[in-house]
Amino acid sequence: MVRSAAERAFLPTRNLLEEVGDMMILTGKTIWSALRPPYPYGGELVSQFLFTLRLCWFPLLVSTVAINYGAPGLQAANGLQIFGALDRLGGFFVLAAVREIGPNVTAIVLAGVAGTAITADLGARKIREELDALQVLGVDPVKNLVVPRFLALMVVTGLFDVYALLFGIFGGIIAAIVSGQPLGPFWATFFANASTTDLWGSVLKATAFGAIIAIVCCYKGMTASGGAEGVGRAVNQAVVVTVLAIFAFNYVFTQTLLATHPNILVIK
Amino acid sequence: MPREWLSATGEIGRFTGSIVRDVWGLRVFRFFGEALRQSGILIISSAAVIWALMFVLALTCGIEGAYFGISLGAPTVAGQFAAWCDLREVIPYAFGYMMAAKVGTGIVAELGAMRISEEIDALEVMGINSVTFLCATRLLAAWLVLPFMYLIGIGGAFLASYIAVVQQVGAVSSGGFLLLFWQFQNPPDFLYSLIKAMVMATAIVLVGCYYGYNASGGPVGVGRATAKSMVLNLILIHLIGMLGTQVFWGANPRAPIGG
Repeated sequence: MVRSAAERAFLPTRNLLEEVGDMMILTGKTIWSALRPPYPYGGELVSQFLFTLRLCWFPLLVSTVAINYGAPGLQAANGLQIFGALDRLGGFFVLAAVREIGPNVTAIVLAGVAGTAITADLGARKIREELDALQVLGVDPVKNLVVPRFLALMVVTGLFDVYALLFGIFGGIIAAIVSGQPLGPFWATFFANASTTDLWGSVLKATAFGAIIAIVCCYKGMTASGGAEGVGRAVNQAVVVTVLAIFAFNYVFTQTLLATHPNILVIK
Repeated sequence: MPREWLSATGEIGRFTGSIVRDVWGLRVFRFFGEALRQSGILIISSAAVIWALMFVLALTCGIEGAYFGISLGAPTVAGQFAAWCDLREVIPYAFGYMMAAKVGTGIVAELGAMRISEEIDALEVMGINSVTFLCATRLLAAWLVLPFMYLIGIGGAFLASYIAVVQQVGAVSSGGFLLLFWQFQNPPDFLYSLIKAMVMATAIVLVGCYYGYNASGGPVGVGRATAKSMVLNLILIHLIGMLGTQVFWGANPRAPIGG
């Protein structure tokens, strides 16, 4: 009785820990086989890169403009207008758009759009036993399928972060115009407060998000089982785990960056 | 391309319209038991992760606010920052993201698998209206359960911001934080936040039902439909969030400051 109760409580925990461990192992294997010659994954890398680019640019554009216009744009403009300090909106956008919203929305969109596509693709191959066939042929699935996706997503998330920043600031500009403010003060406070640390922090964060997305989604796709329902379930789990992992990592990263770089906190 | 998008939008509109009519016209109550079962599934399988994401994002809100307040030389401002950041923007977005990730794709995977294994056709043969039985019950379940789930999540998120600002960064006292935190929000804000989140949730459930119900092309098709539903969900979440902010707070900051 006690034993069965304990098993019921601990079995999900054990499965969870096992899964996290498996993902860590996959990460290690991926990095190792990415660095070690031969490098057969060039073509797949380019095609994955272009695939992600084609799939994500439009949702990302709409998402970043919308969220930056609404969340930091309108809300902060309203708050600042009360104090007659609307010109500070630009400075606020360094905090909001560059440090937080840019990388986070990029990660959410890439997880939702590219990550799900990767899991669906690999899951379908797993179900049709193509991955087993590859192994029989002596082709290493990690080296030929996971590594190119891992590298492509890291690069593409880092680059898309810059794109998200540009469109995020565009959303801020719309908010400034809607509030009836000239753009000169917006740019002045924006560039006065923007620092290199903010930019590399943002891009580094986004790149790490890309790595998380690729590993989780590849792992879930390659371990899919159970026919049509299995692939759907794998995609579902992949996107849930990715979103939670991204924001948990974001919390740790933001805290570390803010605590170790007090110079980005100075308002100029 | 634009023509395809237009026709797809029309299809989605017609399909979701019929689901909403089923719920509105109370036809769904023929399957009230199924709706209750879906509510139970929603609570057991999705509540914890949704709360977890709301909690984590509110923690982030808290530390950003805390450091922002310190840099202004007025650490108490973290209270105002957290109140607006949490209630007005981040909690609805966190709810929407996790709803799309967990519930939206879950519905697509489930209904898609039923469509592929021809269970939906079997339902039709048995004389059961499959749209009412599968989609309308899920929408009703979402409307029954999610407001309460969201309100509990708000509580968790407020606690998270408090932990981040007062306990973790620790530049502002508990009283100072709570004073500004509660002064910069009021019941209408709370209601607006709820409305925003519920519109997102409705959109997500409807999109999930559309892509799942109309899945085709074997196991690969189900996976692809799941991925596609995420694209539309993300765009809708951000647009609804933006429109909600514009409508509810665009013209009136609703702040306790005279001007």
